[in-house]
Amino acid sequence: MSDLSLPVASAPSVPTFRFSVAETVKHVVLILGALIVLLPFYVMISYSLKSPAEIIQGTGGFFGAQEAFRDEYCMKLGKAAADCMVTPVIYNYTTAFEKAPLLRYLFNGVVVTATIFLLQVAVALPCSYALAKLRFWGREAVFGLVLFCLLIPVHAIALPLYIGLAKLGLTNTYAALVIPWTISVFGIFLMRQFFMTVPDDLIDAARMDGMSEFSIIWNVMLPTAIPALLAFAIFSVVAHWNDYFWPRIVITGNRDLFTPPLGLREFKGDVDGDNFGPMMATATIIVAPLIVAFLIAQRRFIEGITLSGMK
Amino acid sequence: MPRTMAHWWFVGPALFLMVAIFLLPIGIAGALSFSDYSLGSAGASWVGFENYEKLLTSSTYEKMFGATFRYVFVVVPLSVGLGLGAALLISATKSFADLYKTIYFLPVMAALIAMAIVWEFAFHPTIGIVNATLERGCGTVLEGWGWYAAGCADGFPLWLTDRDYAIWVVAFIGVWQGFGFNMVLYLAGLTSVPRELYQAAEMDGAKSGWDRFRLVTWPMLGPTTVFVVTISFIRSFQVFDTVEAFYPQGGGPSKSVYVIMFAIYEKAIQQNLMGIGAALTVVFLAFVMVLTLAQRRLVERKVHYT
Repeated sequence: MSDLSLPVASAPSVPTFRFSVAETVKHVVLILGALIVLLPFYVMISYSLKSPAEIIQGTGGFFGAQEAFRDEYCMKLGKAAADCMVTPVIYNYTTAFEKAPLLRYLFNGVVVTATIFLLQVAVALPCSYALAKLRFWGREAVFGLVLFCLLIPVHAIALPLYIGLAKLGLTNTYAALVIPWTISVFGIFLMRQFFMTVPDDLIDAARMDGMSEFSIIWNVMLPTAIPALLAFAIFSVVAHWNDYFWPRIVITGNRDLFTPPLGLREFKGDVDGDNFGPMMATATIIVAPLIVAFLIAQRRFIEGITLSGMK
Repeated sequence: MPRTMAHWWFVGPALFLMVAIFLLPIGIAGALSFSDYSLGSAGASWVGFENYEKLLTSSTYEKMFGATFRYVFVVVPLSVGLGLGAALLISATKSFADLYKTIYFLPVMAALIAMAIVWEFAFHPTIGIVNATLERGCGTVLEGWGWYAAGCADGFPLWLTDRDYAIWVVAFIGVWQGFGFNMVLYLAGLTSVPRELYQAAEMDGAKSGWDRFRLVTWPMLGPTTVFVVTISFIRSFQVFDTVEAFYPQGGGPSKSVYVIMFAIYEKAIQQNLMGIGAALTVVFLAFVMVLTLAQRRLVERKVHYT
């Protein structure tokens, strides 16, 4: 309480809540922008909670009234009307899982993104170590090839890749979803830049201890590269969990192999009036994992996604 | 220096995959673009430049280039401009900066296909939230605006199924999705502008905020801008998810949203016309590689916009 006796000294540190026109204008603009950005998220979550009638009529506010309504599909199955009364939110989310094998899609999404990431690291880590720390004939040529491949987005060469996979009889397999992404030239480049900063003494010491080059990679370099790998993991997982173009091309019809985006697209294809709610519930479920992870670890995510800015 | 051959074990897999996944397919696309190949047929015949001629003469591809460039030249300036604007505003506010940053970055994280389906809902002519909101403004001062009055009288546009609006709505969604990404790149760029430069500029007579932006911020952000513009170009050239979600067949009302990635998908995958698809692939690759090379040249020369 002694600082009360020194009002002059503490005055500058007291925040001033004076009204400022410039500051207010900034916030008005930013809030308007935020409202437009959030609009589809609002629509998505709100519709996933509401009954079909509320969606069509635009009533019920954000949460909907949550009054039970009659499930027409259940009636068609010949059950008693009393058994067919459902609460909108429960109906939407259970239908999302029942109408399509959503769990299977989510499982596929996890398998595909995890496999891609692990293979990318397994291929890129030794290569980037060799490019950064070993001297050998042809090294510059290999690095030049990496720089060249950085120019090419894989989506752009989807057609010849598709032909190749079709010739090998690999369309409609997990392999088709994974193979084109097994090499991340960006990952090689990133990791090489990172390894360049690792002191040579560390590697020499490991060699003196009799470690093989192979175990140097996995026991010395890998642990030092964890921060770069984490950022790369976020970059890779976000890209492949959300990817729609490539799965659309190589998976045709076989629902067991659908990734979440394909599953949602399929759902949209055969949706009728009553199923807007469940479709929005599906969309929410597919979008939620990355959004939640992002909200928990924002800084890391922004770093990881903007990594490509380091090129 | 190791005297073993270990390095080839390390580089080998990556080298093999680079050849198999990048170089070989580019060669295949180049070769097929001069043929009439289709999957499942016994052989293919050499057709010379016929496929490329079609790209230059057929009205379908004229529409395709039109739609692609319209999309790209709306999305790139707007998403770069809004990204820069948002970054400047956020770095200049005293409160809630992190909250705005988080909100603006959300669309980058969300699966575009999911959000496209939601936007389609929002733009639905009768039950969509966009037109419902617009209708609420009827009878107010907004009707002084001719377009708005017409909307109130005859109904607001059909948006995604209206050939005059479709491509712009799709472009709007592209901007919505992409500008947050540019914003964080610009925010990173802004933190690297030395404070002393602003003081120095002020001493030299740069009094207004605009002067400080013009003389210090913008030139210092040069390298960031080069990168942001390039990556926005490459990303918007590749637009596919929204177009396929809205128009699974045909590319929108009168093909007004028939962008190049969708054309490749439609011709090659749906219609099995690999020759023309390969020619489109080659054109597309050429665009992207020229852009990226131009960016690298600009960065290497350390060109700052002045």
